[in-house]
Amino acid sequence: MSVAFEGDARAAATVKLAEEQALVRSAQAGDRLAFEELVRRFDREVLRLALNLVKRPEDARDIYQESFLRVYRNLHRFRFECSFYTWLYRIVTNVALDHLRRRTSRREDQAPVPEEAEGGTRDFFDRQPEMRAAANPERNLLGQELGEHIATALERLSPRERMVFEMKHYQGLKLRAIGDMLGTSEETVKNSLFRATRKLRASLDGMR
Amino acid sequence: MQPEQHGNKSGKKCEEFGPRWTLFTAGELDAAEVAEMNEHVLHCANCNATLAQENALLALLSSNRREPDAALLGGCRASLEDALDQEEERGWLRRAVSTWMPGSWISPAPAWSAALLLVIGFSVGILGAKVVRHSIAPNSASQFGTSNSASTLTGATTPADAGNSSLSPLDLHTADVAGINVFPSSNNQPPQVELQLRARQPITVQGTVNDDEVKRVLIFFLDNSQRFDPDVRMNAVELLRIRNNDADVRAALCQTVHTDHNAAVRLKALEALDGAEPQDIIQQTLLDALVDDQNPGVRVEAINALREMAAKGQVESDGHMLAVLRDRMQKDPSTYIRLQSAAAIRDLGPRQKF
Repeated sequence: MSVAFEGDARAAATVKLAEEQALVRSAQAGDRLAFEELVRRFDREVLRLALNLVKRPEDARDIYQESFLRVYRNLHRFRFECSFYTWLYRIVTNVALDHLRRRTSRREDQAPVPEEAEGGTRDFFDRQPEMRAAANPERNLLGQELGEHIATALERLSPRERMVFEMKHYQGLKLRAIGDMLGTSEETVKNSLFRATRKLRASLDGMR
Repeated sequence: MQPEQHGNKSGKKCEEFGPRWTLFTAGELDAAEVAEMNEHVLHCANCNATLAQENALLALLSSNRREPDAALLGGCRASLEDALDQEEERGWLRRAVSTWMPGSWISPAPAWSAALLLVIGFSVGILGAKVVRHSIAPNSASQFGTSNSASTLTGATTPADAGNSSLSPLDLHTADVAGINVFPSSNNQPPQVELQLRARQPITVQGTVNDDEVKRVLIFFLDNSQRFDPDVRMNAVELLRIRNNDADVRAALCQTVHTDHNAAVRLKALEALDGAEPQDIIQQTLLDALVDDQNPGVRVEAINALREMAAKGQVESDGHMLAVLRDRMQKDPSTYIRLQSAAAIRDLGPRQKF
């Protein structure tokens, strides 16, 4: 019975792939509706990835739009040498990494660091007195602080580490596939995952 | 039970398992390795604790995940469709340029292509310089046509406050736009505008948007949308925005919302109507856009503007409006617009049954 089920699943996947390829070919021929159907197949995942990488909805929207516009402009170059999904994610990850790098460099340009310059980093919670005072219910406060602590921990990752961690644990991709999308080796991706996990563990130690 | 801290039955040391717990929780190990580590963790308290920490870390991070809601996804889709509309409009130009771009013909014969490029370069350098010497002075003066000599060179400079003596209807109906320059003013005054037109002779209209001549030309751009580029019309809308309570301007903006063939211009015109009065005309224009506009981005702007007006108490909730909103709530292809229409009905007519 499980063999039959696997066979059905494989057949369904084959049909889905054939449909997808037909849609891509139609879109390459200029069929706007086919392109929009392709967008609808993948855009929720793309938006989820963007939203969890950058947090601000307006930034996620920028990544979404820039990614699909690039797909639209370059669709004629897609040669079916990999799946459309992989090709799409190459573009999305490039756009998202650019966005994260720009943000990181802006922050480095602008961030005043008087306390750290004098030695000793203040505790995370010491930097949030007004927000703590403003929140009312204790549970909301704890949830908010936990969320901010996690966000701070994620900000300490490099853009690539962040991307690898997100794609591995929340998009459910294999390291080899992530390597394909990021244009790097599986070994490099593995090392990024190790570094990301180690940093997160250090940052969030005591929160678990 | 004495925990095994340094090895297991197969002689593996815990240190060897260290980094592999990350791969274990990531599902990146093969079945044999998974079985080996499962076996090991049964007998090793340290590794058991490490695995528990890995799982706890992932659980903690999962608790802070965000899912895109329908409104955000709908908004993204609407913006993308609008951007694709604009991309299609630009597409023909890009295709035409790419046909003539060197990239499309250099690769088959690189040596000949390089030689040809050199010849073209020399030709442009030698001939271009001569042409420029003869023509650049008048043209550059017209760009900054504020001096007397500039006005004589360009044919006519028409300060808006000098009346409409030199810009005849015939000029206006045959004119092309050579450029629109905007110079910001201080003290919250409207910006200075310089409209450069190519008619029988070059004409420059200068002034602020409060000057009737400037207003007349800008409205003419909008009323003749087939003749002028979308960029020109976008600039016209932007400049007219501060006079959106002027009856002529308001009528032109409403007309643009209804008839301009470019979605970005329609969208900008809708935005420019923000704050204009009387509200019943604006309200009707928004409803028309919500029902008739093919572009979801424009419809999104329309429903957002309606909801903003409703929140400020500026909307008259009548049967027609509720019928339109109900129709959009049921039939609009955009999820965002359906949701916003339902919310608008809730805001405007809480006792209505639908």
